[in-house]
Amino acid sequence: MLASVASAVLQGIDGHHVRVEVHVAGGLPAFTVVGLPDASCRESRDRVRAAVLSAGFRFPPERVTVNLAPTNLRKHGPVLDLPIALALLVASGQLDHESVAGAAFLGELGLDGSVRRIVGALPLAEVLADRPLVVPLDDLDEVRLVVPAARGAASLRALVESLRGTSPWPEPDPEPRRGRVTAGPGWSPDLADVHGHPIGRLAVEVAAAGGHHLLLVGPPGAGKTMLAERLPGILPDLSESQALEVARVRSAAGAEVGPGEHPRGLHRRPPFRSPHHTASVVALVGGGSRVLRPGEISLATGGVLFLDELGEFPAAHLDALRQPLESGVVDVVRAAVSARLPARFLLVGATNPCPCGFAPAPRCRCGPAQLQRYSRRLSGPVLDRFDLRVRLDSPDPASLFGGQGGAESSAGVQRRVAAARERATSRGVPANRALRGAALETHAPLTDEAVRLLRDRLGRGRLTVRGSQRLRAVALTLLDLSGAEAPIGADDLLVAECLRAQDALPGGPA
Amino acid sequence: MTPLPHEAHLAAMAGLDLVGPATLQRLAALGEPGATWERLRTGRLPVSVCAARSEPPRAQLDRWVAQARTIDPVEVWDRLRRAGVGVVSLGGPGYPEALRSDPDPPVLLFTLGDPATLDQPCVAVVGTRRATAYGRGVAHDLGRDLAAHGICVVSGLALGIDAAAHAGACQGGAGPAAVVGAGPDRPCPRPNLPLARRVATLGLLCSELPPGVGAQPWRFPVRNRIVAGLARVVVVVESAATGGSMSTVEHAVLRDRTVLAVPGPVDAPTSAGCNSLLAEGAVVCSGVDDVLVALGGTPGAAAPRPDHRVAPTGAAAVVLDALGWRPESVEYLVTVSGLPLRSLVGELERLERAGWVVRRDGFVERLGTSGRAVDLGVIP
Repeated sequence: MLASVASAVLQGIDGHHVRVEVHVAGGLPAFTVVGLPDASCRESRDRVRAAVLSAGFRFPPERVTVNLAPTNLRKHGPVLDLPIALALLVASGQLDHESVAGAAFLGELGLDGSVRRIVGALPLAEVLADRPLVVPLDDLDEVRLVVPAARGAASLRALVESLRGTSPWPEPDPEPRRGRVTAGPGWSPDLADVHGHPIGRLAVEVAAAGGHHLLLVGPPGAGKTMLAERLPGILPDLSESQALEVARVRSAAGAEVGPGEHPRGLHRRPPFRSPHHTASVVALVGGGSRVLRPGEISLATGGVLFLDELGEFPAAHLDALRQPLESGVVDVVRAAVSARLPARFLLVGATNPCPCGFAPAPRCRCGPAQLQRYSRRLSGPVLDRFDLRVRLDSPDPASLFGGQGGAESSAGVQRRVAAARERATSRGVPANRALRGAALETHAPLTDEAVRLLRDRLGRGRLTVRGSQRLRAVALTLLDLSGAEAPIGADDLLVAECLRAQDALPGGPA
Repeated sequence: MTPLPHEAHLAAMAGLDLVGPATLQRLAALGEPGATWERLRTGRLPVSVCAARSEPPRAQLDRWVAQARTIDPVEVWDRLRRAGVGVVSLGGPGYPEALRSDPDPPVLLFTLGDPATLDQPCVAVVGTRRATAYGRGVAHDLGRDLAAHGICVVSGLALGIDAAAHAGACQGGAGPAAVVGAGPDRPCPRPNLPLARRVATLGLLCSELPPGVGAQPWRFPVRNRIVAGLARVVVVVESAATGGSMSTVEHAVLRDRTVLAVPGPVDAPTSAGCNSLLAEGAVVCSGVDDVLVALGGTPGAAAPRPDHRVAPTGAAAVVLDALGWRPESVEYLVTVSGLPLRSLVGELERLERAGWVVRRDGFVERLGTSGRAVDLGVIP
């Protein structure tokens, strides 16, 4: 007559408990779903009916009412197909109540009764970890990262047999499925491929070590994208909790999570995301009218968000990034729902110096007004977020083919970066970028000569007070990388200044 | 009450819609401006004064009639006087000698500053707005040295070479003159406005357009004929193969003026125009002496400016050698000089302070002579 089964739905990147109640009683045959289902969830009725019949069960010719509790939470997606079907079988007396009692189920049904993959299996499984859990067999690898005891189901028929104890629980194919052998989210090409670019390489290293956002300015073909792509490869491995967060976001976004480099482990390599400049604000920041999906900035959490052709991004999109850049989270709020999504990413922007791409004169073909217009595309507050602004030049042809010996590989750089990050951690911040005001005074003292240099720059208007602070933080990262101790000397500041070129964009503020 | 000068009527006509330099010439040719104004106001002008436009001539005349009824030449004149704008007309007193015999003289010149500035021998220093540090430096020094020799430097107050030449000429000696392509109240791009004020104070700022007229692309080539007409010698410092400076050269050749060009790197687009001028027979300009010779004077009147910079040694000399004479990125310098970045940036800092190099747009550029580093900071 009445049966209920535990399940969960996704909101942002968090799972929320849902109790699926099914009532079967006399009356005109009908099948209704109540409890704030959205259109995709209401479609469950047709899938469940077909799947139940295909699996060789009887669909009760009575009045079937499905209630999804709590009724104030909006439910969406097909994840409740399987729990509805099981509760229906119990309510119609085709399955023992005991076999589903206390257990939770997640899964989408096909019309043939098969159980299909769902979006967000990992965060959904997390909230149901305290009870026996059955998920689609295809999601089992992912779910077992957080709930090792979870069981898989390939079809409704097989699941019922396993629940009755008449057949064993299926195990996923130990061989990685086709498509899973591709590079995972953390794969990154090696820095050894980059020839020349002494400053570009250093900038990438400093960005990785100090968490400083990086703006690469250079002509087409200078290697901006090449350098940016190699940045995740020199970041240290993610910690357990960071890796879990990355997996949670990826799962909620419907991306591949899968086991990482180690069997049964999470991906430990930082992600790399590079959305095209035509991406919408919602695609970047996350959101949606009812279903709150994580955006690119959340998918890049713990890793690198690369915005190529930064100047082509609409100003509103870039301004939307400013708050998450500061706080590391983004609160997506809609009339009906809200969610807090992680957004701790390292921002790398790339842009040409001018419309023709070859500034300065004599190679540049742009007029002064064009240059000014172009430089205005990036607002001051956005530019201000970049601790590192590097002007790249087309590499010297000699360095491309000349036998200079191989450039240093990512592994070597990564060791220095990890050591530098450790020093930053000892200062009580995740990376030097987070050092402000008083903390800088304590941890980044200056020599007299360095103070004179800063005074000179401030006096000539070549540096703002804020800029001088960022310069100190970058210089401190340089010290960390070289293993040297504070105080910061004038030469360190000059190198930092070279990595934080005020005039990286021509026509911009001097 | 003193009778209204006929420049007042011409100025009123110049302020009408659809009246450009050429139409004003046709209006002026009709006779006494006061009478022409009266005919214009009452719609009794011949159709032939109208420019060929999409608008039929009759409609243009009607538009003038309607507009002229709202304009009082007395008021126009008062407003000009109050703004300190002088007006000289072709054939009138104060009109520049050099333009009297010009094939295409401006009917009116609206002036700010001292019209007598143009009594000095005039040399036009022109060039591209997309100037390199090299071009700006040469233009600046040329302007400074010409002014010191009592020569009026004529240019257009545009960004780049024009501004550098004016800035140099404002450092003493003869006053500079600027011929601008818009009304004298809005003479140039905003960054150059302080420079425009200095030019008007020290010398002359003039335009054939009345106050209130904004800059439009077609006005600049038309303006260039006045620059060429005023100057006895035209120096092109840096110019692409096509562009405003080349139109000045065409006007100069038409008027039989001597054209000098400053040579530049053969592979630099910004010097392509200059180099082709040299190939066509323009005189090489490597400094103020060449211009003095072209003016018929004697070179070497002034002592060469001593270079007070301390010659770099050691690593600094290596950096300077690696730099060469074109803008290079710091990345390039690291690769070529073989110095570690840390010492390279230190050397660059010292070289910049000593006036050997200048950093701009993320690139480093070598400076030819001393004394520019400070000034170049403010030259747009």
